[in-house]
Amino acid sequence: MPIIQFPALMKFYVDNQSEFRMAGATVTELLDNLLARYPALKTHLLDSNGALRRHFNIFVNGVHLRDLNGMDTTLKDDDKVILMASAAGG
Amino acid sequence: MLPELSHEEILRYSRHLLIPDVGLDGQHKLKNSSALVIGTGGLGSPVALYLAAAGVGRIGLVDYDVVDTSNLQRQVIHGTSTVGRLKVESAAAKLLDLNPDIQIDTYNEPFTSENAMRIAKDYDVLIDGTDNFPTRYLTNDVCVFLGKPNVYGSIFRFDGQLSVFYAKEGPCYRCLFPEPPPPGLVPSCAEGGVLGVLPGTIGTLQATEALKVLLGIGEPMIGRLLLYNALDMSFDFVKLKKNPKCRVCGPNADIKELIDYEEFCGVPGHDHEDGSAGEGLDITALELKTRITPNSKLILLDVREPHELEISALPNAVNIPLGQLAGRLSELNSADDMVVFCKGGTRSARALELLASAGFKKVKNLKGGINSWAKEVDSKLPIY
Repeated sequence: MPIIQFPALMKFYVDNQSEFRMAGATVTELLDNLLARYPALKTHLLDSNGALRRHFNIFVNGVHLRDLNGMDTTLKDDDKVILMASAAGG
Repeated sequence: MLPELSHEEILRYSRHLLIPDVGLDGQHKLKNSSALVIGTGGLGSPVALYLAAAGVGRIGLVDYDVVDTSNLQRQVIHGTSTVGRLKVESAAAKLLDLNPDIQIDTYNEPFTSENAMRIAKDYDVLIDGTDNFPTRYLTNDVCVFLGKPNVYGSIFRFDGQLSVFYAKEGPCYRCLFPEPPPPGLVPSCAEGGVLGVLPGTIGTLQATEALKVLLGIGEPMIGRLLLYNALDMSFDFVKLKKNPKCRVCGPNADIKELIDYEEFCGVPGHDHEDGSAGEGLDITALELKTRITPNSKLILLDVREPHELEISALPNAVNIPLGQLAGRLSELNSADDMVVFCKGGTRSARALELLASAGFKKVKNLKGGINSWAKEVDSKLPIY
């Protein structure tokens, strides 16, 4: 299974884990599985149209989804999927 | 013609002069260079200190805040003796003590669309050490329009981000974050806290990147983003490319001049809690005091995290942290008179919106939170 890495400010919604494994053959499947397990995440991750909010970015093995195949990007075992959000603190 | 170094400066910078990649030529470059540090808080402190120590000839400091005791856990450019002073003055005094041979320009004003181009135009590099989204988007757009590099850092709790956004050679901040989060969705450091040393780590890395850019050495973090986690001591690097749809640096950019950034982000350009939910929705601490009587049925709802109750608490308050409120509404009765509070009034204002959308109509926000209660009603409680 791929590994998801989560930003600190969202850890509360995923049992305080910063990294965990989640099944999914594509990024879409992975997010579906993630939201099925942690439904409270939905309003944080997705906008009212069901699209990923635009202050979020997803990287697979260090490469932005935009430079891969978007949400259809295929995943294999041990792929590292980083979810990151903007933070304003300074 | 680059400025000469005095004998005293040669001694001061001798450890730089010994590095072949810097040497006399590099030190001359630094003396002739300039950096604008936006924000003299957690990130701005180490950035300004290290750039001053390194001999960057002119450093601009933008801030309009005053030093507060709660800053000193991480804003190491200030000190107990400068609490209450303007941050730019406190910082400038420290920098000139560290290095009297450099020029410090202070701008005791908010960085806004009206003054940003004027302030930034003569600096070689901008360093984003602000604490809010509007100023981050403003700093980015100023850098894109003026063709300057933006050394970016941001922090939250144990997480830090670092990059160099430089639209001439790579992506800008908007390529990565086309839009800010909806207001209220992402907590600030004033609400969520930050490990004091974290801005030290990220700010020092920003200073490193700024020096590399000014010296023209190494591989600046253009097109790369660092994601740092202090708890795991993990450093993840990801690649960034220009976003072809970027509204400010893309081929079809439609933002051609500075905009109203507070409107764009839907939040004010500072990280201070004003603690209000809006007109007609607040109750002050003194008003609340008169409402709490032995027979009162008023419900006090505390939406802070459980560990904050150990710092200060109001008797008989019901605690439901904001993050759990949506899922625990059944524990509350919408017919009850209710006052919601948190530390400073920001989270409770958000709770009020959530409660209103769920049909609660008799709810008020304690303006300024439990800190205002401590200030105006019960001095035995600490302010945090």
